[in-house]
Amino acid sequence: MSTVTVKVNVNGTPRTIEVESRTSLADLLRDRVRLTGTHLGCEQGVCGSCTVLMDGLPVRSCLTLAASCDGAEVVTVEGLDDADAHRLRQHFSTEGALQCGFCTSGMLVTGYELVRRRTEMDRDQVACALAGNICRCTGYNGIIRAVQKANDDGMAVDDLT
Amino acid sequence: MLTELGDDAKILAGGQSLLPIMNLRLAEPAHLVDISRVGDLMGADEDTTSVTLGAAITHQAIEDGLVPDPCLGLLTTAAAGIGYRAIRCRGTVGGSLAHADSAAEWPTVLTAIGADVTVRSAQDERTVPLRGFFHGFFTTSLESDELITAVHLPRFAKSTRWALEKTNRKEGEFGESMAVAIVSEGSASIWLGAAKDVPVNLAHVETLLADHPADQVPALGEVRDRVAADLDLSVPELDLAQRHRLQIHAVTVHRALSRALSPEVPA
Repeated sequence: MSTVTVKVNVNGTPRTIEVESRTSLADLLRDRVRLTGTHLGCEQGVCGSCTVLMDGLPVRSCLTLAASCDGAEVVTVEGLDDADAHRLRQHFSTEGALQCGFCTSGMLVTGYELVRRRTEMDRDQVACALAGNICRCTGYNGIIRAVQKANDDGMAVDDLT
Repeated sequence: MLTELGDDAKILAGGQSLLPIMNLRLAEPAHLVDISRVGDLMGADEDTTSVTLGAAITHQAIEDGLVPDPCLGLLTTAAAGIGYRAIRCRGTVGGSLAHADSAAEWPTVLTAIGADVTVRSAQDERTVPLRGFFHGFFTTSLESDELITAVHLPRFAKSTRWALEKTNRKEGEFGESMAVAIVSEGSASIWLGAAKDVPVNLAHVETLLADHPADQVPALGEVRDRVAADLDLSVPELDLAQRHRLQIHAVTVHRALSRALSPEVPA
């Protein structure tokens, strides 16, 4: 098995990591950088648990090869720490938007990119935007409410940086 | 490189179809050639009559309007309907065409539009109309050493009306049926995806429309008979499940026609 050297910035820290060519971004993050907030559910792009930001956009880290990330900036759930991320966390807490927590990191990353787009959205639009993330315990109502509230807050304060 | 490695090599664009089947161990290519960041494949070019999109442009770039849409919003709408946002941020238009899933958006939508692709090998370059490019399930006229480099789209006339209808159970899934209707003065281009191994031209439905008073939508029953004819189905011989599938296609096509022909509601 051949190896590749990947230079990737993870949550603000530049790293140079040698991996087997077949390594996914998810495995690089979890096994090599030890950031286990990124969860692996289905490993076929359906469940959304492994969603991370790559150069500001959400991607499935299980369907992204580490080798394709050379030079990229990756942000995982551990790296979300601005006002939008704070509001999301707050509303996830108050709306009861998590139970076992397995899907939560993917929901937060997907929700974060959504609220950063600063688009007015009703409940149905938020539900559709979260359709690529599967939750198997809490149910979706709390999650949808939390993301919608964080989106409304973001629209109101307009502190996009 | 592709000539040298032959079947052992796969081209990797966004990887949103290839990586799932690799993760399931259904495909185990010995070599992957990642083209997702080849600058030449990511540009867009336009003139007065057409737009050329690089093959590695992502669905998200089209969805967010980062490249021109010469089809009055049809491209943007089609892109936004593909999978989920995280899939659209990696998946590419060229990759979708080369993968050739008839239930996917681009094969049917771009065929309906009448787009061409530029196909290149180490030695040669050719332009291929998408009408005729798809040969069967996941099979195209691409040779093993060839790569799609660009998609060429004609500009719609301002009066063109279009509708894209997809029937599925859950947002982001592949459609159980997908109909595209593009109507401009005196002519209609109507195509159906997810029905057969390749996108199907609904020629009988187009004729039905031509024979119909303008702006009037044919009845669902009439549409269903024509869709059956276009799919080479003999209705009396169909079992219940097949009739159900035909009905889904007919309703999807009927919705698309209703939207494309409705004078008030913008497509």
